[in-house]
Amino acid sequence: MSTGSLTRRVVFGRDPRRTLVRVLVLAFLSFIIFKWVLIPIRAEGISMEPTYRSGSLNLVNRLAYRSRPPDRGDIVAIKLAGPHVLYVKRIIGLPGEHLVIERGQVYINGAPLPESYVKNRRGWDVPEVTLTSREYFVIGDNRGMRAADHDFGRVDVSRILGKVIF
Amino acid sequence: MTRRSVLSAVILLVLLAAGIFAWRSRATPDERAIQGRLDALRNEVNASTKDGLGTALRAAQIGSYFTDDAVVELGEGAAPIKGRDTLMGMVARLQPRTAAFRMDLDDITIDMAPGSTAADVLLTASFVRRNISTGEESLDAREYALVMTKADGTWRISRITAIDTLR
Repeated sequence: MSTGSLTRRVVFGRDPRRTLVRVLVLAFLSFIIFKWVLIPIRAEGISMEPTYRSGSLNLVNRLAYRSRPPDRGDIVAIKLAGPHVLYVKRIIGLPGEHLVIERGQVYINGAPLPESYVKNRRGWDVPEVTLTSREYFVIGDNRGMRAADHDFGRVDVSRILGKVIF
Repeated sequence: MTRRSVLSAVILLVLLAAGIFAWRSRATPDERAIQGRLDALRNEVNASTKDGLGTALRAAQIGSYFTDDAVVELGEGAAPIKGRDTLMGMVARLQPRTAAFRMDLDDITIDMAPGSTAADVLLTASFVRRNISTGEESLDAREYALVMTKADGTWRISRITAIDTLR
């Protein structure tokens, strides 16, 4: 077999028409999956360190909360005006709960919340917040930075796009 | 049904779905005009004074994207900026520092009635700041609601309101 025909066979397969159909189906499936099911994202910024470093590539599962509501400890993607720029934060407060942060320690309904994922902690203070039936409290894992430089707070459930799975 | 006809049906369905998707996501001429204005504004903000334009001229060009009575509300703790002249003054003062950042506009949603001269626009503005000494970039994104109005055939921003995604 000549080099030219070998290359053609490697590129187009034994049956080019069948290969074309496979490519089309694969492209279609990839489009569906990466647009509506698993959204690839790139983390920017240091607010989720050390769990996610700035520049790391991750996937958001948009179907994660079809069968169950978001849970404490889940890392979620939160949409702003749309799905192209997202906040990535961890859920620490669930709907209906009372949350307060005193000298960096989070209290849920008066009980301290153990947070093994927080490696550095500054003495942040957040006055008591009562979450409504549609609200979650989200925050980044990097509590070693200034609270003023860190976006956190209550978020409506409709803004949670999915769970960050990787 | 032969395998060949099943295959043809699948391809036809895929093409049909793509066609419907394209048809549904098409923009009206006014929506395209608004999109174009926002793209031009972004380019204007991102252009540094290196192109020979002075600070005042650049500020005036950015100001031309706003109506005379434009209002910019940046949220709690910040007084609203009222009027194009005030806005231009602020842009002129900020201009030398803008070379250190880049603005991107994403997820632009335009909501307007057909033939209307007013449109509600929702978008995410991202500001990528570059630390001059370390070269490190940091991103600050925020959601904004805009009201744009059309006068003399030109779309201009009459109100910007910052939206707190996390409260």
